[in-house]
Parts: sequence; structure tokens; C-alpha cells
Amino acid sequence: MSAICEYQAKDYKSDLKPIWCPGCGDYSVVQGIYRALAAIGRPPHEIAFISGIGCSSRIPGYTTAYGFNTVHGRALPIAQGIKLANPDLLVLAAGGDGDGFSIGGGHIAHLIRRNIDITYIVMDNQIYGLTKGQLSPTSQKGRITVTSQHGSLEEPVNPLLYTLAYGAGFVAQASPTDLASMASIIEEAIRYPGFAFVNIQSPCVTYGEEAQQIKGLKAISENLSTLGHNPADRLAAMDLAQQYGRKLHLGVFYRNPEPAPTYDGLIRERQAALSKGAIPRERILDLFIKK
Amino acid sequence: MRKDLVFGMAGSGGDGIVSAGDSLLQAASAEGYHGVMTKSFGSQIRGGESSCRVRISTEPIPNPGGNLDVAVALNWEDFLKFGAELPVSGNTVVIYEAATGIAENQIPLVGVTPLQVIAVPIAAMAKETAGTERAKNTVVLGLIAGWFGIGGQAVMVGIKKKLAKKGEELVAANQRAFDAGVAFAKEHPLKSDMTVMPSGNKGAVKLLTDGNDMAAAAALFAGCQFFGGYPITPSTEIMQFFTNHVWKYGGAVLQAEDEIAGIGAAVGASFAGKKAMTATSGPGLSLKSEMMGLASIAELPLVIVDVQRGGPSTGLPTKTEQSDLFAAAFSAHGDVIRPVLAPTSVADTFRVVVEAFNIAERYQTPVIVLSDQEISQRKETMDPIDTTQFKIEERLRPTAADLQDYKRFRITENGISPISHPGMPGGAYLAAGIEHNETGAPTNSGSVHQRMNDKRTRKFDPLLNRQDLFEITGNPDAPLALVAWGSVAGVCREALQMAQAEGLNVKLMVPYLLYPVAEATYNRFFASVQKGLVVEQSHLAQTFKVLRMHLDLPKGLKSLARSGANPFLPGEIVEALHHLLAELQRSHEGKLQPQE
Repeated sequence: MSAICEYQAKDYKSDLKPIWCPGCGDYSVVQGIYRALAAIGRPPHEIAFISGIGCSSRIPGYTTAYGFNTVHGRALPIAQGIKLANPDLLVLAAGGDGDGFSIGGGHIAHLIRRNIDITYIVMDNQIYGLTKGQLSPTSQKGRITVTSQHGSLEEPVNPLLYTLAYGAGFVAQASPTDLASMASIIEEAIRYPGFAFVNIQSPCVTYGEEAQQIKGLKAISENLSTLGHNPADRLAAMDLAQQYGRKLHLGVFYRNPEPAPTYDGLIRERQAALSKGAIPRERILDLFIKK
Repeated sequence: MRKDLVFGMAGSGGDGIVSAGDSLLQAASAEGYHGVMTKSFGSQIRGGESSCRVRISTEPIPNPGGNLDVAVALNWEDFLKFGAELPVSGNTVVIYEAATGIAENQIPLVGVTPLQVIAVPIAAMAKETAGTERAKNTVVLGLIAGWFGIGGQAVMVGIKKKLAKKGEELVAANQRAFDAGVAFAKEHPLKSDMTVMPSGNKGAVKLLTDGNDMAAAAALFAGCQFFGGYPITPSTEIMQFFTNHVWKYGGAVLQAEDEIAGIGAAVGASFAGKKAMTATSGPGLSLKSEMMGLASIAELPLVIVDVQRGGPSTGLPTKTEQSDLFAAAFSAHGDVIRPVLAPTSVADTFRVVVEAFNIAERYQTPVIVLSDQEISQRKETMDPIDTTQFKIEERLRPTAADLQDYKRFRITENGISPISHPGMPGGAYLAAGIEHNETGAPTNSGSVHQRMNDKRTRKFDPLLNRQDLFEITGNPDAPLALVAWGSVAGVCREALQMAQAEGLNVKLMVPYLLYPVAEATYNRFFASVQKGLVVEQSHLAQTFKVLRMHLDLPKGLKSLARSGANPFLPGEIVEALHHLLAELQRSHEGKLQPQE
């Protein structure tokens, strides 16, 4: 029996008009998110969508979910508090490569090792767009930008290899070159019971390089399933991930076939186990009575 | 006989001097005395110098006391490191380790002749009776029981409990060490009787805890369901308490990856509709400031406990200071009001933290509780607190009618808008650090920004009329005044009593609400004041400066401010008041003379 689809993609679309430049890859990402959410079918009010600061971090406002456009780099710390405070919510976090891997780069390792059931979508465009074209943590070495006028001297971060090495249970990559598969990858990430990371190559039409526009991305893209990659094979995933920046592998790099218990699930068990025999709140000071 | 005794003891880390203080406090509490104990350490993890100060009284205790009545030095090098924290006067009985080899008339205390100096072969007695020098602290407890009548067998009851699992022989060895201490005291009576009066209150139910545990318990009482934090001295015990207890109430605690993530998770939990808290000390407060701004503009309730230590930067991590007032009131950029409250004791930490949650929920704002190292880590006996007298407030939720046309940031008359949370049908909105209109949609409009700033400021107006957040004692028309908050307030309460006993016409204001500055309340208080002191442990006199920023202070109101880890003594404040009175009398005479 097929599931009855109560919600359609448009039910997740808000009335706010995006501030993004015409042709920005993030338009496709938000479409992909609408479709994924419709496929999952949770009512919008049961979804919390958290972002940091940057062009892409405007995204929660374009959905009908409860959104929180926070401060630069801190989508994940705030998202984890929401999930731990109310594990019933579907929690999404999103932002750009600078937000997630530069200013907020210290957080992702910890959400992954805690395995909090949050889906984190990074719109990776290798540039700081909102501040008008500075070097980002995923910019290629040698790249010329307004803050690297003689070329970048730094190796870029590899978001796929990082998250795989930190132990993420679900790591995937998508791009606006294939909206249908992007939507299904996001859906799969949300359905994964644990921390899930989706890197989306989302071109910056204003400050991005020619090679990173849709045409250039198409030229280097390869579908992981057509390569015969087994997403249960973490080492093979790490091997493929090393080609980040040279090849655009689309699909699921890794899905833990035996998902580990989630932190939010474990705390529920702890709450249930310890709630019996608790002193009523109004008598909590009895703990300090010395006989 | 004495009503009140102040003990100060110091040794090296392994001497167990703090553990002796704990035993003394618990025994005194069991015998119905009031007691306060503070601890002070070097910042070494093991070894190094450690000390404690225990004040025992038949009356409620306002502070850990000034000059010591009894000083115990297991070695002089460590004792002297505490300087003004363990002041010896001409009324102090000094007990020290004879094995230091220093003669009683040659102890290294400069410029003071103690009441009596007694060298005791403490280590030798421990070795002889218990077979190990580790029982030195038990010998000290025996000496105290013998000379001052405090503790007695209640000490051994406590020690037996503590050591029960370690075997009967260890208990017996400690009993012998304790008895040896008592016997030594009986064989060497003091020149003057310093035994403490019976408490007359034996068996009464007392609470005994420190400020950090009290803050955490108060938060749970107030309905706090989430704590996010990061270990930092001297606030960490708050998180530790949560990790033990919060689960029982359906809540959660997260030891986050850093200070920012700690407060971030708490902001998230509050957005999710739960009462949330974080705790930290100076360096962590600096890191959290951006998130505090976010909670202010997103209008999310949040309680932040800042246990002050010496600053700036790492500063003096184990010592008390009151130098975070500027940071608490003003850190985080932008035009924003963030309420700041401060407890003055372990007991009133309960009330202040409950109040902080109520203010946070009512006004949808972050609230800072400025505790300090002394309050947070001092142990205090107190009478049971009737929790039924405390009202617990919840944030204003939208009604069904509100949800018909829901605007999360609706501009209301009192500035408070009903707040929904994820999971509530019909309440979805965009919360943001970016300026927003009534629905939450981002905006760059100057006029919207103006209206929202006005709403976010106006909502605090009723807070400025909260008389109950100020304690005013003494003669309301007095020309002399003291103002003090936090742990220093306790010293000033005692100074007030002493000054009144000496015939001074003086009053004291203790603000529990430090910010926003309740201008009218201060102006009423200062109306009669011709001379006075704002007493604080801040080198820059932050309190005095914040008051001066908001008020036209009386010309005769001066600052009595000093760096942390240099405690005020009630006696010096009384002396300063006498000095002010003399100035006042001189100026009156000066004014009167030409008329004659």
C-alpha cells in the first residue's frame, strides 16, 4: 500500500521572497528541501530549521517550518539544544561552507560523535558571497579573491573527508545539476536515524569561478551509484572523498548499515530510567538536609 | 564564653585541612550552630597551598568573618601565601606545627602580637596515635574540640560515617588522633576562655550546601529543563549537579564542546520552549556575549550564571572578585538591556536564581546571575526554605485567538508578545538575530528597527519598580550610607550592626537587581545621604561608575573599592564610616561658624 501524501512541496514554501541573486544554486536547494519534506510528510510546525549567517543561511525563512536564523557559525550548537530539549522535532540545520567549516568548524565533530539526529546541509560555493567575494575554507589553493589578491596560500578543507573521518553515519553530496536526486538524497539524510551530512555544491553566480557554475559542475560530476560504489563501505567512501574539488561525486558516500544509538534517544532512556523516585521539585532542597 | 568564632586554617594540599574544615562545619551544624565555610586554594591541581575559613556562631552569620579568632598553620610558608585572606590580630590564638622548628616568640607574622601562640607537635601526635601523619587534620579537630568546645563527639560521628567503608582500624586510628588532640588541649589550657556557648538549637533541621549547588537546585525548582555548559572554575559544580539530577525531571544537560556551544544549546532549548540555563565564569562570559545578544533580539528567555573570579583573562581563577559587572551589563554589542541580578549568600542564591528564571520568562530575555567565587564555593548552614512562598512564572504563550493571525513579535503595549515554540500548530515563525518585523521577517528598515528597539526596551519598565529586589536596612533618614552587593554585602551587613552599636546614624542598601539601574529607588535612598561608601571588590570601582552613569550621586558618596582576593573586614568599614562622620561634622561646623 502506498503512503498517502498529505503534504505537497508548496506547503513548505513560505511567502518570503529570497534575497538570493538570480541563478543562485540555493534556489534549487530550497526546492529540494520542499520536495524532501513533502515526501517525509511531517507537518511544518513539527520541523525546526536552524541556520547561521550567510547567503545560504537565509534558507529557514523561505520555509513554513519554525526557523531560526542564528549567528555566524553557530547553527549546530543551537540545533543540538533544540533536539535535546524536544527529540520529537525534526531538526534541520543549514548554512554555507564558511559558516560550517570556518567560523563554526569546531562544532561539527562534536555533533557527529554525539550522533544527534539532525540533518546538516551545507551549501558549499567555495566563496564568501554575502561579504562580497572573500576566500572561503573550501576555496582552492591559489584562488584569487579580494582577500587573496596574489592567490590563496592555503589548502582547502575537505568537508566529505572530514565528516567521514569524524565518524558521521550518513555522508552524501548533491548539486543543483540534478534536482530530483538532490531531493531524494536530502530525504534519505532526514530519514537516517542519526547525524546526517549533505554537502551541496551550490554555485555562486556572482563571485564563483566559471568552473564552479552549473556547466562546469556537470563536466566533473559522476553519480556514485553508476560508479558501483557501495555506501556501506566507509573506507571506499573515504577513498572517493579524496577527489573532492577535482571530481563532483553525487549520491551517498556512506550510510552506516547499523546506525548507532542517537544521543537524543539515549537521553530519553536515561530520563525514563531515573524519573522514578525523583524528589518532587518543590522539595528539592531536601537534598541539602544534613542529619 | 563566645557566641561567635572564626577559624582560619592553612596547609599544603595533602594535609587535608579543607576536609577538616568540612568536618568541623558539619559537626557544628549537627550541634545546632550556624556555620559558614570558605575555601581558598592556589591554582595547583594537587599539592600547593590550601586553606579554609570556618565561622561558627549561635546567631545567623552574615559573612565568613574578618580577623581570625583562631589561626591554624600546618606550615608557615603555605599560611602566609593567603595574606589578607587569613588576617591575624591581637585577639587571635595561633596554633601551629611544632615541627616547623620556629619558636613561639618568633613566628613569621609581622607587626602583630597574637593573643596567644601555641606550638603543637601535630604531625608527631598523628604519627604516634594513628601511625601516619595523614591524621594531622584529625588531631587539629581534636585540638579545636578541646580548646573551643566545638565539634566534640559530633566530629567523630562524621568521620566514622566518612570512613565507614574503609574499615574499623582506620576509624579507630582517627579516634586516637582526635582524642590526643583533645587531651593536648586539656593539658595546655588557653589563657582566656574561648569556648563557644551551647547553641541551644541542637537537633533543629538545617540545610547545608554551597552556592553552586544551591543555584542548580533553584534552577530545577524553577522548572529548568536544560543546561548547556562547559567546565570552568569556579562554576563547574552547577553543571555537575545538573548531570546528576536533571534527568529525573525529564530534562537534559549537555557538556558542550565549548562555551559558545554551551550557551548556544541553551538558546536552542529555550527556542524549543523549555526553560534553559548556562553557567560560567569570566572568560566564558566573554565568549558567550554574542549569543546573549542573539537571545536578546530573538527575545528568548535564558538564565546565565556568571560566577565571578579575578580577571581579566585567566586572572585569578580560584579567587573571588566583583569585576564582571561591566561585562554582565554591557557586553554584547547593540542597544540592549539585559537584567543582572546578584545573590549575597548561599541561602539567597535560591531566591535570586528563581527570580532570574521568572524575569527571563516574563520578559523573554537573557538574565545574568552574578554570583562570585566566595558565595559559589562557600558552604553555609541555613534554616529550611519554604519553597511554597515562591511563585514560578511561565512565558506568555499564544492563545487560540492569537494564533489566528499570529505575529511572534507583535508590538504590544507592554512590549511583551506571546511566544510559540516548535511543535505548536499555527505558531511557526522565523526567529532571527537579524532585525525583523512583527512576523519575524528580516528587515533593514530604520523605522522598524526603532520600533523594535523601543518594544525590547519598554518591556523592562516594570522591573525598575521592583522594590523587593533591594534590601534597605538601618535608619531611613540616616546621613551616612553604605551600598554593597554580592558577597561584600554580607560584610557590610555586619559593619552596619557594629556601626549602629557604636551610635552611628547609618543605613545600608543591598541591591539584588544590579541592572537595569532602578534610578528612582536609588534616588529615594540617597535623598538623606550626605556621606557614604559604595563598597566593592573591583579595582576600577565598576559599581560606583555604573551608578554614577545613571544617577546624580550625593557629593559625599565615595568609592571604597579594591581588587579581588583582598577581603573587606567589617571593622575597617566601620572605621571608614567614623572617618566620614568626622568629615561631616567638620563641614557642618565650617558652615555654622560664619553665622554665629
